Amino acid sequence: MQAGSATTTEKRNPADFLKQVVGKPVLVKLNSGVEYRGILACLDGYMNIAMEQTEEHVGTQLKNKYGDTFIRGNNVLYIAAQKRGKQRKNE
Amino acid sequence: MSESIPPVLPLELVDKCIGSKIWVLMKTDKEFTGILRGFDQFVNMVLEDVCEYEWSSEGRLITKQLDQILLNGNNICVLIPGGSGPPQET
Repeated sequence: MQAGSATTTEKRNPADFLKQVVGKPVLVKLNSGVEYRGILACLDGYMNIAMEQTEEHVGTQLKNKYGDTFIRGNNVLYIAAQKRGKQRKNE
Repeated sequence: MSESIPPVLPLELVDKCIGSKIWVLMKTDKEFTGILRGFDQFVNMVLEDVCEYEWSSEGRLITKQLDQILLNGNNICVLIPGGSGPPQET
């Protein structure tokens, strides 16, 4: 029915997405609205996350910088793939 | 009792949406639209060309464009296939 309507209809499950973004810059948004930008070091099935070169953003403001960060998975709203050049608009 | 309607599992419906636009309503006052790329048994979703909608305390609509995200299924409430997001006020 919808064949050919989308540009690419290849399936990409959450596991595939995560494999693709480990080691790359990501934006992690928590349920509270706080955002963490940095390099995704590793993560597990609970969405517990370890990040490097982390920047903590609240709203549009940069609040803090951390070397390494652990984020407990229950707080994670989403993980967004980030292009390095794209994320600098807030600074 | 005659079973005239073939049973369709809810997640089969979501599976049919892969590759097309979907509108996601969260438990909280937050919504997402984007192209559905995939999902898993927890309905964690991979979305592409995403727009995130949020309402400020004054009731103003805030949007944010994102390339590709993995949305945590924990807070997902409603999925609307083909939905184009909340009505835009001018």
